[in-house]
Amino acid sequence: MPHDWEASRRRIGATIAGGVGIDRVPYFPIVCEEIICRISGKTFRELLSSPKIYGNAAIMTYEFLKADSLAIPTAYAGPAEALAFAEANNKEDVIKWSDYKVFMAKQGAICKTEEDIEKLEIPDHSKISLWDTCISAVDFVREKTRYPQACALGIWSVVQELRGVQAYRDMRKNPDILLQLCEKVYQSQMDIYNLFTERVGPSPTIFFTGYAFNKHMMSFDDAMKYEGQFIKRLQNETKAKIMLHNCGTSPYFDEVCDNLDVFAINGSHPLDIEYWVGFKERHPDITIVGANFDVSRELFSGTPLDVEEKVKENITHLASGGRYAVGPICCLPWGVSLNNIMAIPKAIKKWGTYPLQTL
Amino acid sequence: MNDDEILDELRDRIVEGISEEALDFIHKAIDANIDPIQILNEAIIRGAEEVGMKYEKGEYFLADMLLAADSINDCMDVIKPKLKEEKHKSPGKVLIGTPEGDLHDIGKSLVIALLQGQGFEVVDLGVDVPPEKFVEVAKKENPDIIGISGLLTVTISKMTETVTMLKRKGVKAKIVVGGGILSEESCKHIGADAWTKDGWKGVKLIKNLMEVN
Repeated sequence: MPHDWEASRRRIGATIAGGVGIDRVPYFPIVCEEIICRISGKTFRELLSSPKIYGNAAIMTYEFLKADSLAIPTAYAGPAEALAFAEANNKEDVIKWSDYKVFMAKQGAICKTEEDIEKLEIPDHSKISLWDTCISAVDFVREKTRYPQACALGIWSVVQELRGVQAYRDMRKNPDILLQLCEKVYQSQMDIYNLFTERVGPSPTIFFTGYAFNKHMMSFDDAMKYEGQFIKRLQNETKAKIMLHNCGTSPYFDEVCDNLDVFAINGSHPLDIEYWVGFKERHPDITIVGANFDVSRELFSGTPLDVEEKVKENITHLASGGRYAVGPICCLPWGVSLNNIMAIPKAIKKWGTYPLQTL
Repeated sequence: MNDDEILDELRDRIVEGISEEALDFIHKAIDANIDPIQILNEAIIRGAEEVGMKYEKGEYFLADMLLAADSINDCMDVIKPKLKEEKHKSPGKVLIGTPEGDLHDIGKSLVIALLQGQGFEVVDLGVDVPPEKFVEVAKKENPDIIGISGLLTVTISKMTETVTMLKRKGVKAKIVVGGGILSEESCKHIGADAWTKDGWKGVKLIKNLMEVN
């Protein structure tokens, strides 16, 4: 049966709205480039050779996975932003390309010195070939499936790419220079947003990688200073709704929901399901995408049955009344067996069809 | 200032991550003819432990840990030649790098500094290290521990490949994998001897494996 993207759109919309009229729990995996390469059989450079090739490969992958989400993964505030800054500042040599996964930037090489930050040129994404292809691929996907596309942005994820470990020293020794870098990254994010709006249309939701919001890395005050304040500005400027992603092991999700206007959170920690039950009680209007389903556990080293049990645990505890989508965190990695991956949609169909089976 | 006061001040400056002042005090300690091993044990190692405890309690974050680690590194640069003169035996040698395809080095940088602060000899392979390179250097350096630090879920496969090759090639060192992506299950899958999620726990784990108090 062909994939019904309109049904997926309605499913996601209904779960965010609190479950009215929803047929089953949506499936929202994070599909990275290497899974697209794996499923489509194409190299990463081949994907980037044209928006149509990348778009079709992405659609094929999400359909194969029986997902309800759909995105072009490279068009987000991670390595591709590092590449944009590298190109805009003539530092392309810091990028290392791979055959079957996304390229990476040498961490901290683009903004090695404070002078590098002061002189850092903000990229014009329309002139960066990779971004031109990726945003066009996003538009191709939207056009072909009629499935709405969301812009993916972030601040700290990019700061870490550009400044590396030095960013943490700056936090104590020279916060002004760090804020200057955050500001430039913000301007760059707005450039992406504007390009997205121009090519694809308005993005009423933004998938925001909020890597600063991790207790291992910084205090919540610092997370607000170096990322949260920019989210507020972004919302003021765009009026978009925010889904906040954090794949760290100690995220500030409660604090985020108390201090920022987010409609959904996307993470897999803490692993205690009771935390998530409590979270849903504390934040009944927030949609949880993920909960305690982490890719490095059942998916990686368990059996399909273990995966099914994990999906069942999340659904039975969290999906009543909507505002829950199954989503292993973070990207589905190369080493995960397809049997385990395909156990997810199977378990969703079995346990996640409304009305839900009771515990 | 007596010897104890100098060592207390040095330890405090390390904990606060004020490198310049820590250096002043380590020079004062040397000028006062304090035994370098006593400086290492009572100021540097204890300072590093205090930093770790503050991190565990949620009083310190990555930025504070890094600045303290920088102070430790600076002090170790001063004291290392003295320790050699005293024929101080390092508690062990650690070979460390990030797996091929992973260029993230924040965790690794922190672990290296903290290990050096505990007197370990560290061989840093850098980032994006192919399995063959781990094997080559392990054979040459004969480390007690090999640390593989990664950030990305996609590098779990490369960690597995690296560990498999190290074992196949007869490398006897214990292997510790580190990174927020890891779990007991993934550690077993990778075939490592131990795993850790964060830098300070990694240092404690290595000390335990080496039976260092």
